[in-house]
Amino acid sequence: MEVIDTNAWFGRGMLGPLPGSPDEVVDAARAVGIDRVCLTPLDAIWYHNPHLGNDELYRIADRRAAVLPVPLLDPTIASWADELALAVTRQAAMVKLAPAYSGYEPAAAEPLLAAAEAAGMPVVVQVRVEDPRYHHPRARVPDADVAAIARLAGRRPRLRLVLGGASTAALLAVAHELRDLAGLFADLSQADGLDAVRRLVDAGLLPKLLFATHAPLFAPLAGLARVLPELDDVSAAAVLGGNARRLLRL
Amino acid sequence: MSVDLQRWRQLVRPTVPVLDFHTHPVRDFGPYPVVSAAADAAVLVGAARRAGVLRLAVSSLGPGCPPTPTAAQWRAANEYVLRMRDAEPAAILPLCYVSPEFPDAAAREVERCVRQEGMVGVKLWVARRATDPGLDPIAETAAALGVPILQHAWLKTEGQMPGESFPEDAANLARRFPGLRLVAAHLNGINPRGIEALRACASVCVDTSGGDPQNGMVELAVARLGAERVIYGSDAPIRHPAVMLSKVLGARLDSAATRAILWDNAARLLPSWANVAPVPGGG
Repeated sequence: MEVIDTNAWFGRGMLGPLPGSPDEVVDAARAVGIDRVCLTPLDAIWYHNPHLGNDELYRIADRRAAVLPVPLLDPTIASWADELALAVTRQAAMVKLAPAYSGYEPAAAEPLLAAAEAAGMPVVVQVRVEDPRYHHPRARVPDADVAAIARLAGRRPRLRLVLGGASTAALLAVAHELRDLAGLFADLSQADGLDAVRRLVDAGLLPKLLFATHAPLFAPLAGLARVLPELDDVSAAAVLGGNARRLLRL
Repeated sequence: MSVDLQRWRQLVRPTVPVLDFHTHPVRDFGPYPVVSAAADAAVLVGAARRAGVLRLAVSSLGPGCPPTPTAAQWRAANEYVLRMRDAEPAAILPLCYVSPEFPDAAAREVERCVRQEGMVGVKLWVARRATDPGLDPIAETAAALGVPILQHAWLKTEGQMPGESFPEDAANLARRFPGLRLVAAHLNGINPRGIEALRACASVCVDTSGGDPQNGMVELAVARLGAERVIYGSDAPIRHPAVMLSKVLGARLDSAATRAILWDNAARLLPSWANVAPVPGGG
């Protein structure tokens, strides 16, 4: 069985020291039995041009076989199509959008989503990076609109789209879309609360749930702790890696 | 298909006893409707057991969690927790919830709950900040009875409630009552700034409850406060017990510090009738 972390980052972050170098993140993942890590440059969410963080990501992926590169794309950057083409060439696992950090509404990503769909490239849309209560008071970013993202997915039947870092409540609110849209998935990196994963499974979402750690912002062991106490081995194996293999066509 | 996840399951299970110092009834914070205190206790304790937690301190903020409850509301909340304790006596350690808006009545309720009902501590939430003199009779009573106060504290970028204590407020309370056993709740909410506000108050512990499983926070608290001042708490059912426990299990700590955080520090704070002794051979 292969455990695949579908949403992790490398970088320093903004709020304090982090064990966030690429090797630190990958080594910490491997230490808790995670085989492969979908990795995105964290600090690039604050760049004027987030694409400038992707070169380092590709270099890391060339060096560490455990890394599945997930470059950060911004559909408001004029050259986004070139960056998507590069992601295809470099065999990125997915591309990631962080609309709240670049200040665009999810609907502005429609041309990029259309191009990703045509290219067969999965897209993860990051809902939250940090709890708003914990934001630096001079750097406050609202969560992205999960329902709006799910609606975008509904208009693209062949697009594979992941809701990244959404809460349990937000995922349950779009459970209908998650069940019915073949290409819509959700990672569990920030799905918390009592019996959270079991409730999502009881809502019929088992095939759509993806293990993710949100490392290095969160301790990677927490990602495993979200899943394992709640599920039997077969269900847990689907969440820990089986669903990701299907999503990423590994 | 057969799979064996034992290797991963062992990683998220504690190998030492665990006492969760900060939990609430499922009735108060969901996610399920519960028909009785006994049913509530079963759900909460069941989730704790699946995470490897042996005992849990429980306080009720009342249905709907009114931020400024009446005396009748917190008395009813305490009665509910006592019924939970009666249903799961081996697991549940009840805490008495009161409001400093009614200082003398609150002090009497603490006396009643501790002396007559065997409650093991006091919970204070957001009715008044910890700097408010309304806390004084409560703190005096708790100190005299030898029970700890679990004081909610948080430093929020947004959403700070009017009566919600900042970490500095907990420090203020500790300085006013140096003999008080005080636990400032919510390490992640206290954040690195709040840790520094509490650092000089040697009598104040912090619990790990609430917030996300942020990498490095427990290690920071241990480095700045000392392992003996950090206490495991989850804030279940708002947070998942196993995820919160992983904050400590996944932290870069030695075994003595882990054991202290997960059990011994709480054992030291709780009164004798809690029947919680430090782990033999521990620090």
